[in-house]
Amino acid sequence: MSESLFVDVAFWLFGGGSVVAAWLVFRTDSMVRAAYWLLASFAGVGVVMVVLNARFLGLVLVLMMAGEMTIMAVFMVMFMMNPAGLNPMTMVHQHRQAKIAGVVAFAGLALVGVVAEFPDRPADPEGEATAELGRELLGDSMLIFETAGVTLLATMIGSIAIASKRGRFGDAEDGSAPPPLDPQGDHS
Amino acid sequence: MLLVGATLGLGAYAVAVLDGVGARVAAGGRLRLMDIAAGPLRRAALLARTSRSTTERPDLQAWALAPAIVAGMAAAAVAAVPFGPGIAVADVDDGIVLFGAAMAVVMVGVYLHGWSANSPMPLVGGYRFIALALSYEMPLALVLIAAALPAESLAVGAIVESQHDLWNVVRQPLGLPLYLVAGTGLAFWGPLNGADGPDLAGGTSAEVSGPALLAWELARRFVLVAVAVVGAAVFLGGWQGPILPGPAWMALKTLALLAVLVWAGHRLARVRLERFVVVAWAVLIPLALVDVFVSGALAL
Amino acid sequence: MGVIARLASGADVPVFPVVAAGGRLAAEALRLLPGVRVEDTPRAATVLVVVGRLTRALLHPALVVHDQLPQPRATVWMPIGVDEAGDPEGLLSAFPSVTTVGAGDTAGLRTVFADLVSGVRASDSPALPDMEPAHWRGVGPYGHGGAGMTGGVPFGRPLPARAPDPDGLELDQLPLQLGPLHPGLPPGLVLHVGLQGDVVRHAEVGANPYQSWPGDPAPGPLDTATFVDALRLPTPVADLELARARHHLRWVAQALRLHGLEALGLRVAALGGSLSPTDRCTVQAVTRRLAGSRSLAWATAGVGVTDGGLLDGIETRLETGPVRRAAGDTGDARSDDPAYQGLGFEPVVHQGADAWARLRQRLAEATQAMDLAERAGMRVRDPGPALEGPRGTIRLDAAMPSTALCELLPALLAGSEWGDAVTTVASLDLDVEEAALARSGSAPASGGRIAGTPTGSGHQNGGRPGAGAR
Repeated sequence: MSESLFVDVAFWLFGGGSVVAAWLVFRTDSMVRAAYWLLASFAGVGVVMVVLNARFLGLVLVLMMAGEMTIMAVFMVMFMMNPAGLNPMTMVHQHRQAKIAGVVAFAGLALVGVVAEFPDRPADPEGEATAELGRELLGDSMLIFETAGVTLLATMIGSIAIASKRGRFGDAEDGSAPPPLDPQGDHS
Repeated sequence: MLLVGATLGLGAYAVAVLDGVGARVAAGGRLRLMDIAAGPLRRAALLARTSRSTTERPDLQAWALAPAIVAGMAAAAVAAVPFGPGIAVADVDDGIVLFGAAMAVVMVGVYLHGWSANSPMPLVGGYRFIALALSYEMPLALVLIAAALPAESLAVGAIVESQHDLWNVVRQPLGLPLYLVAGTGLAFWGPLNGADGPDLAGGTSAEVSGPALLAWELARRFVLVAVAVVGAAVFLGGWQGPILPGPAWMALKTLALLAVLVWAGHRLARVRLERFVVVAWAVLIPLALVDVFVSGALAL
Repeated sequence: MGVIARLASGADVPVFPVVAAGGRLAAEALRLLPGVRVEDTPRAATVLVVVGRLTRALLHPALVVHDQLPQPRATVWMPIGVDEAGDPEGLLSAFPSVTTVGAGDTAGLRTVFADLVSGVRASDSPALPDMEPAHWRGVGPYGHGGAGMTGGVPFGRPLPARAPDPDGLELDQLPLQLGPLHPGLPPGLVLHVGLQGDVVRHAEVGANPYQSWPGDPAPGPLDTATFVDALRLPTPVADLELARARHHLRWVAQALRLHGLEALGLRVAALGGSLSPTDRCTVQAVTRRLAGSRSLAWATAGVGVTDGGLLDGIETRLETGPVRRAAGDTGDARSDDPAYQGLGFEPVVHQGADAWARLRQRLAEATQAMDLAERAGMRVRDPGPALEGPRGTIRLDAAMPSTALCELLPALLAGSEWGDAVTTVASLDLDVEEAALARSGSAPASGGRIAGTPTGSGHQNGGRPGAGAR
């Protein structure tokens, strides 16, 4: 009995924590904090997965999201004008549209969550989740995962090739900007 | 928990002592063992009594959290390693993945440490660490997978037991060197010290003083110890060995790896970032892939 | 005293050096003192050590650094040079408390530290008021001082402006002043850089903090004192060459420290500090070992390349010196020096013109200097107008080689990543104090004063006295 109590407590604690962290993503002014609140939210979901015996998936989620949220933090700092939130300027715009969109999305998802019939197939708690996952990946779902994997690899290699020093328009050291579309204009 | 704490604490002390010995040997001075043994403790005592600095508008919570994240992840990594037959804090089925996830979160900790100070030199240190960390995450993951193949399991305990006739360092010669390179980078030690180097006036630690500095130095050494512990388990046969009990062998093997890492820190110059990143992507990843293919072929 | 306090007072004294006029050698020697640990950042230090004579331009940076030391802290002054009344303007009284300790007096330093840690001595209070540099809160249309959403000066500093990048992008560029007390740069070097990430987009050398003002005492003693004196006094060739080898070894030690090989650097520094003619084989062994180091080669090859046009395009002429010889130029003032005839002297030259070539060049020159010192025996060099110093030709009434080396910096550093920039600056072997000398003949290198010297009008490095000190 205590084990299922532990599972329940963990689920509500980390599940609720994920929701709170997700809300904090949008409340904070600092871009780095926003990225890492999102990581905390994902980590909460990862813990829930671990508690539900999908340990491999939970740990892989944390592994991937740590790297990805760091890259997201780097990009947000790169693009946003006020990345640490120190400048007293408002960071949000279009309040009315955002509120309406948020309420509509929440209502839709909540409706789906409450009304839909989720399948009732309890998994074997003693099962070897990792081994079963492996068999699924290389068995029935092999086509999907191999295609996705090769596509991702091609994307990575392509982006590295595009970002490489010796670009199409010459060496980056010499300033390899493409000619502007507008003869007098800037390079945008 | 006591096991993890003791391992990390003693390990960090061992790193400091080995570092002192290494420095004294490299500098050609006399090895005064009493000084070297007491040195780290004295410095820790001094740092504990020094006040904490602050800068203008730092991210206080993240600054305080950063050493905790790094140390916590090192503890999580050590927790998955068995120190003897059946002696493990949490020998989960996915110990290797736990190690990978923990080391990925270390990247978050170091970046936060650099970001939070709101100062240019620490910021550059944090960003440099991200560039380096992303470059050797892949070789790290690949060599660990290669080591897991003969064991047919991701649990560290199973990997240790799969080495009962032949250690992985012999069976997969590419594994340990690549792992040590990645491990050196994870703790930003010696040649891969982009984050805290003297050219950045101390890098991510430039604005840190007192107990916060002590916590950061400890966290960094904890990561080094975790790298050595997992390396000893996965590549050097873990607790297996004649005559001595399991934990003693683990300790010896961990110390051996720590000595190698500390020696590398004193012997090799700090790498140029760009060059190393190119090497990591263009050389280390293909080598790691070769390692995986070969060990996979052998396992079939 | 509690257990922790007692343990702490036995620790190595963490110091942060403020290298003032004449203090460079003593500051480097601090690293060799047992029981003293020189830190890279003032936040890790307990004792601020002012080495040499403070100048007006260095006072404010030193006070800022003093306030950056955490409590408990103390300030120690190590006066250098013949002139013991070394603080004529009373600049040191700006510090809350200063203890005078002799250079190399480890016991004195440890006493100060032990008293501080055990509570016998009170910690220094802050020297500067804790105030914001400029009033900005609530000023302007957006409340962050100044005009516009992207303008303004929140916290007294401008938001980084966009600047073009060689890839055709517009990236934020941070204007930053680094120095004069930055541990990765030569002491006294002030760099105003525009930093895009960790790439130096442009760099200018700031006002020289050792620059003499009318009425200021002359700088010195320089680290090339032996050579400047040899312009006027007869000096044994062996002494000159030994001084040259010492200089190069000390430089190698600093370069190794910057590349992460601190312990090896200490070994080389100890060798350089106690160099005698019998150390010839040791110097050869060190040269062989370092010149064959693959990791050092990998870290410095291709960095800071001074191709021919750069060396000839600067205002002050760099005649000779290891920087030129590492680029393939065979010029050396010793080739025409009568004192070196018959010693079998041939200038050592390397190709490559990068930091790695300069490292090997100085190692080779150190070995060569030891050989020359042995072969020269008792030969004495007569005073003459030109002399080959360790950085280049030193002439009476001409600028010192460091002046020209400082002028190389803006072109060399533009576009290089910060770590490479530090390597490049280190590989040039600059001495900012030497560059502050208007003319090498007008001020004696060994300290002391000369009245009426035209020092205030020198405009090397575009320096305006007092400007840019932070």
